[in-house]
Amino acid sequence: MLQEKTFITFNRMIAQNIYLMGFRSKKMALLSKPGQFLMIHLVGTQMDPLLARPFSVHSIKDNDILVILYKTVGKGTSLLSLSKEGDTISIIGPLGNGFPLPGKNQIPLLVAGGMGIAPLFFLSQLLINIKKYELKMFLGFSTSQEIVLFNELTSLGLDLSIATNDGSYGKKGLVTDILDQYLEKKSSIKPMIYACGPVDMLKEVSLRAISLNLTCYVSLESQMACGLGLCQGCAIKANNTTNKPYYYVCQDGPIFLAEMIDWGSL
Amino acid sequence: MPKTPNLSVEIGGLILKNPVITASGTFGYGNELNQLINLSSLGAIIVKGLSLEPMPGNPPPRIVETPCGILNSIGLANVGIKAFIKEKLPALHKIKTPIIANIYGHSMSEYAKITKIIEDTEKIAALEVNISCPNVEKGGMAFGTDSYTAAKVTEHVKKNTTKPVIVKLTPNVTDITSIAVAVESAGAQALSVTNTILGMAVDVPTRKPKLANIIGGLSGPAIKPLALYLVYKVANRVKIPVIGLGGIMNYEDALEFLIVGATAIQIGTATFVNPKTAIEVVDGLHNYCLRKKIHTINQITGSLKEYGESNEKS
Repeated sequence: MLQEKTFITFNRMIAQNIYLMGFRSKKMALLSKPGQFLMIHLVGTQMDPLLARPFSVHSIKDNDILVILYKTVGKGTSLLSLSKEGDTISIIGPLGNGFPLPGKNQIPLLVAGGMGIAPLFFLSQLLINIKKYELKMFLGFSTSQEIVLFNELTSLGLDLSIATNDGSYGKKGLVTDILDQYLEKKSSIKPMIYACGPVDMLKEVSLRAISLNLTCYVSLESQMACGLGLCQGCAIKANNTTNKPYYYVCQDGPIFLAEMIDWGSL
Repeated sequence: MPKTPNLSVEIGGLILKNPVITASGTFGYGNELNQLINLSSLGAIIVKGLSLEPMPGNPPPRIVETPCGILNSIGLANVGIKAFIKEKLPALHKIKTPIIANIYGHSMSEYAKITKIIEDTEKIAALEVNISCPNVEKGGMAFGTDSYTAAKVTEHVKKNTTKPVIVKLTPNVTDITSIAVAVESAGAQALSVTNTILGMAVDVPTRKPKLANIIGGLSGPAIKPLALYLVYKVANRVKIPVIGLGGIMNYEDALEFLIVGATAIQIGTATFVNPKTAIEVVDGLHNYCLRKKIHTINQITGSLKEYGESNEKS
């Protein structure tokens, strides 16, 4: 874990309200693993918004630039979107556990909902680097305008299946619809699922994985004050078969096995 | 060469190398930040509120940001005093700064039992008695809003320990000074002023409270003026040291608390924003004293001037 003040090297809109931002930190870039996150604070906005915001590492560029992918949803991200190359930001990271990698005979399968693509991009880069998987990724977006990274993922060699809620691209419906079709058709293979996206989607994916007895890792989000295990604010109810009542997303996660979570509470 | 200023302060017989303490509930179990800061540079570390048995805490969401502040309803989630001593405290053994346990009980006898356990734990230098948590149903703030019960809790703790006893007060009362005086008479050696202020926030589209617990405690710069006022009031009524806290973000905020009468200060919410805040406040106070040729930080405590006084630099 490191804390650094650094400069933004780029911050550009790549789709409606969706931005890619890079900032230099060689040490943090070296340490970061897919699934881990950073606490980011714009220097000069100390009082309101008060807190840093957690962002998963989206990729590492040129070995020393950390890249995040974000959508403007509130005051913090709106301010972030206005920041420019050369502006100072404060970052703490890498934080959290990161995705465990598949075992020798496990076939990874990635499921992303909307901005859930952010950490899964980094994971897919790593997976393709270590082994020439025929990597399949299911993506769900609300509309075609929010589809990002299509070319980047395709050129990595990923096989993409896309669903949009409004049917403006790919299959009309939810990402779980196209996942279901696939799992039904390929019931002989037992993929290992990595999922990131809105909590309702993660719940649906997890419940399917549990019922099919598939290993499934989800990347969870929560309201977080510190990201460092200090405040115990980011509690998520644990499955009651464990003796821990709550997990803390920042310390115990953000990556969890599907069966660790009490999905009924979410 | 200018003389190095003396930043040390005394709290109930406990000497701190500087007046900067980390506030309970904002510094985990003490060791979480050891990769980022030198823990031995702090005046003292107050760890997360500890109860006799483990407590799960409140259902999420437990935390929400509000303008210049945070509302929390953590609900004293903690591993319990025994697990703390066994699993968490060993990591702090090499740290050369006093460790203070913040304790919380559901009943008078629980406060006494935890105190006894701490009395036998050498590494814990002092106790901060939490009679002011707004986020638990039993005990907590209920003990801190009534002079009689606040004094009773203090007596129960005092009877069972030789270590310094600090009592953390709640601002959620009509007259904090009457509680402060009662607790002082019952033997408290210092007071922490103040815990969080009750508050709430509503999500308009869903009309739901933003915290699952509905209400929570407000902290951060939003409460600084109120906290400062309470420290000023209490420090003028009691003889024991007052430890000021509430929204301190930098050394200048810390100086305000010292000037109105605090002997030491605590850094809470600011640690979430920047984990190095407490260390930066220590450095800031040091440099301020050097610049102003102040030999000992105690000279600042209670140095508030009257409005009509001359503005000579000191």
